[in-house]
Amino acid sequence: MTGPSLNPVSGTLELLILRTLGTGSELHGFAILEWIKRSTEGELIVEDGALYHALHRMEKRGLIGSEWGVSEKGRRARYYRISKAGKGVLAEEEERWSRYVEAVAKIAPCDAEG
Amino acid sequence: MSPKRRLFQLGLGRPGSRRTVDWEIEHHLAEQTDILVGEGWDPEAAREEAERRFGSLPRHRRQLVGMERRRRVVRRSVEWKEAVGSMFVHAARSIVRSPGLAAAVVIMLGLGIGVNTVMFGVIDRLLLKPPAHVEDADEVRRILVHGTLFGGERTIPALTYPDVEDLRSIPEFASVGAVSSAQEQTLGRGPDAMRVKAARATFDFFTTLGVTPRLGRFFAQDDDQIGAEATLVMSEEYWNRAFGGDVGILGRTVEINGNPFTVIGIAPRGFTGMDLTPVDVWLAALPAEFIRRGSDSFLTARGSYWLASVVRMADGASSEVAESKATALHLGGRADRIEEGRFNPETYVLTAPLIQARGPTASSTSRTALWLGGVSLIVLLIACANVANLLLTQASRKRQETAVRLSLGSSRPRLVGEMILGGFLLSSLGGLAALALTHAGGRVVQTLLPDVLWSGTMVSGRTIGITLLLTIAASLLAGLGPAIQSTRPDLAKELKEGGREGTHRRSRIRTTLTVAQAAMSVVLLVGAGLFLQSLKEVRSLDLGLDTDRLILAILETHGEELEAPERNLLYEDAMSRVAGMPGVAGVAVTDVPFQWYMRTNLRLPGVDSLPIPRGVGPLYYSVTPEYLNVLGLELIRGRTIEETDQDGTPLVAVVNETMARAFWPESDALGECFYFNGGESCTRVVGVVENSSVGDIDGSQWLTYYLPIAQTGFGAQGMYIRAEDDVDRVAASIAPTLRSFSPQIRYADIEPLHETLAPQSRSWTMGATLFSVLGLLALLVATVGLYSILAFDVLQRTREIGIRTALGAERSRVLKGVMADGGRIAVLGCLLGLMVAFLAAPFLEPLLFNVQGRDPWVLSGVGLVILAVASLSSLPPALRATRVDPVVALKEE
Repeated sequence: MTGPSLNPVSGTLELLILRTLGTGSELHGFAILEWIKRSTEGELIVEDGALYHALHRMEKRGLIGSEWGVSEKGRRARYYRISKAGKGVLAEEEERWSRYVEAVAKIAPCDAEG
Repeated sequence: MSPKRRLFQLGLGRPGSRRTVDWEIEHHLAEQTDILVGEGWDPEAAREEAERRFGSLPRHRRQLVGMERRRRVVRRSVEWKEAVGSMFVHAARSIVRSPGLAAAVVIMLGLGIGVNTVMFGVIDRLLLKPPAHVEDADEVRRILVHGTLFGGERTIPALTYPDVEDLRSIPEFASVGAVSSAQEQTLGRGPDAMRVKAARATFDFFTTLGVTPRLGRFFAQDDDQIGAEATLVMSEEYWNRAFGGDVGILGRTVEINGNPFTVIGIAPRGFTGMDLTPVDVWLAALPAEFIRRGSDSFLTARGSYWLASVVRMADGASSEVAESKATALHLGGRADRIEEGRFNPETYVLTAPLIQARGPTASSTSRTALWLGGVSLIVLLIACANVANLLLTQASRKRQETAVRLSLGSSRPRLVGEMILGGFLLSSLGGLAALALTHAGGRVVQTLLPDVLWSGTMVSGRTIGITLLLTIAASLLAGLGPAIQSTRPDLAKELKEGGREGTHRRSRIRTTLTVAQAAMSVVLLVGAGLFLQSLKEVRSLDLGLDTDRLILAILETHGEELEAPERNLLYEDAMSRVAGMPGVAGVAVTDVPFQWYMRTNLRLPGVDSLPIPRGVGPLYYSVTPEYLNVLGLELIRGRTIEETDQDGTPLVAVVNETMARAFWPESDALGECFYFNGGESCTRVVGVVENSSVGDIDGSQWLTYYLPIAQTGFGAQGMYIRAEDDVDRVAASIAPTLRSFSPQIRYADIEPLHETLAPQSRSWTMGATLFSVLGLLALLVATVGLYSILAFDVLQRTREIGIRTALGAERSRVLKGVMADGGRIAVLGCLLGLMVAFLAAPFLEPLLFNVQGRDPWVLSGVGLVILAVASLSSLPPALRATRVDPVVALKEE
């Protein structure tokens, strides 16, 4: 089965978004961005606007869904959550990543463990 | 859980694409600014920094809005498809779940739509479509003459040959053609001879209509000359029927009434000329007419109106100008007769649409067809009302289910849509049933109209289109009301109460629908009654003549027409030969045979002008003494014409009742006298006979008088033979004698009167048949409607009735209650329907025959029928109500 997959170029960002939402929480765009920045410790450098492109693209492909709500600060905000299809893609990608990491590890043994 | 609250429970609509993006960006910038301010930024600088970090605002906004829009379009269409799909499933499931209801709906809609399609097929043929194979029919018009003709004021399509020549000289007409009416003639001779419907057509008749031959050619101008070889064109239908479509027929010679005609062409299938009546062969007009008359005097004399003319207007020509020119020529050609006061100078020529039913000479058949079209719409309305009723019943059964679905969040539009879709599925099936009915019923209706050439089945592109339209209209009509009513918001109450309220109130819509159905069926039944009554009148009237017993024989001689004394001798000879033949009860001769009209001047002594309106005669008949007896006219007083009334004895006459009343209202007319045809001596009335028709079924009220042919000296023109029993057999047995008894005889035209008359009673036959069918259909549907509403009520009230019975209510009271319920609906519908029928009566009256539109017998009869049928249909539910077992009813709780 070939479900929706990640765009190779923006793939990293999309995978990060899926991971952020993967726990099942509903977050608005700014919160997602904060979460990603924190978890990548500022390594991912993108314009803030690019995040929304990714979010909208993914919503169109059915990986995530969205709904309007009111934030704890009383602001009107659009909340995103992961969909069933999104969860599937997330699991696949994580598996691929771990295989990739394993393969890299075989070629370049990590001395830290040795 | 997330800390968000739902926004759109607040009643806000969903934001548009642009606003969605704006809101989202605004939220991001606001959050970012907050954080930066928290890090110590100045608020304005913080906002600028937030925007900088976001990237190019206009570009992002533009791209995001575009994406959002595309996403919405896709989502919407997916949602729509899913919704429709599931609506279909739901709708189909509800049909399968109640097959009885579905069958009832399909049958009712099938009937309702089907009768409409059939009537559309008829109206389409008579009124909408021009005769087949006519090119640019809008530019083709028929020529009519309005004036005093055949004893009365009328508009008729008849012209003399010189009149047609006149039309050809008018430049406003690009082309002029003419054709005689089709008459039965004999094709071939000996045992192979066949009767054919032969019309005489001028050379320009076919070119004016713009038809192209199927085979061979049509007449050229050279064929349409006296002295030219006589030629004919066959219809494709006749060619196939009689000659098996043999191409070798072209150039062959066939005999028409014993005269050779060469076949030169075949007209295409369906071609009937300017009318819709089938024609077997068209003879080249002038040669055929010359053969028929044995003289060419018709080329110049304006006495014989044998042609109907059709013209094609020149580009941009005004028909008013053409009409006034034609009128001038018409009157100019009769200047001498106008001067002598023998021709009405107010006569005028007019043009009328090619489609006869649209012009002033529209037949009562086409007018009746229009009425029937309206009537079949009523049947469809009744059917729709009934279907709506059934669907409402079903909807009330499903109220709980609907209420649950509504409260679980199914939207009302969706439920309404589902019901309409279900209705549409059902009505599509109904539409298919309607097409089947059109095919079968169309055939029956076609046989009621044998004067029209039908081309096979009535199911065609046009009728299918109409069926489709009616199906859509019917499904909306029948489905919308129930759908809206049954999803009303107060269903929540229904859900709570569980449909167990103590007393059940029937919905007002359903009662109204049932009353309306009853009313409409009353209207239709009244129409049916009136037409049946007309048909009965037509049949029982017998025109005053025993048409079922009479045969009219007209002798045609070779060469020039014989002088009166010679003709009378010839007819006397014929009379004596036929009189003794088996089955012949009597023979009489007249100078004015059936469907001829003759009047002449008549003067009463001492009276300047006669007190009679135009168009009612008086018509005269010179007859032999047996005439009144043979025709079956009853003598009311005085004596009939006798053998002793001869040339030289005192002049006598027998008058009909109308004439006696009109001329001598004070006396019994016997012994009174009048001057006939400018004569010197007064003709004395010796007898009064009952009224009779002069050939039109409508004409029985005309003033008529009968004179001894021996005294008038007018030449005999026809002979009536009265048969003892089987008129068709007698007609066949006398034919050989009459066609051969004298060398002077070329041909004898012998026809039983009932055949001559059949076309005239056709509109009533059609009206009576179809009105009855439609009326009974309506009655049936309305009966089912009343039954179903009462039956459903009883079902709903089972508990109430149970309690009542348990409390000691007598069963007879329960029975009466339900019956009274049905009775109220029937009485209300009946009154309403009778009122409508009463108001509509004057409009229908012109189509009836000797019947008042407000005929009390018909009105009261229909009322009784409706009430009787209503009682019958409320009886079963009422009986069921009495059988309600209180224990069972209460246990259902």
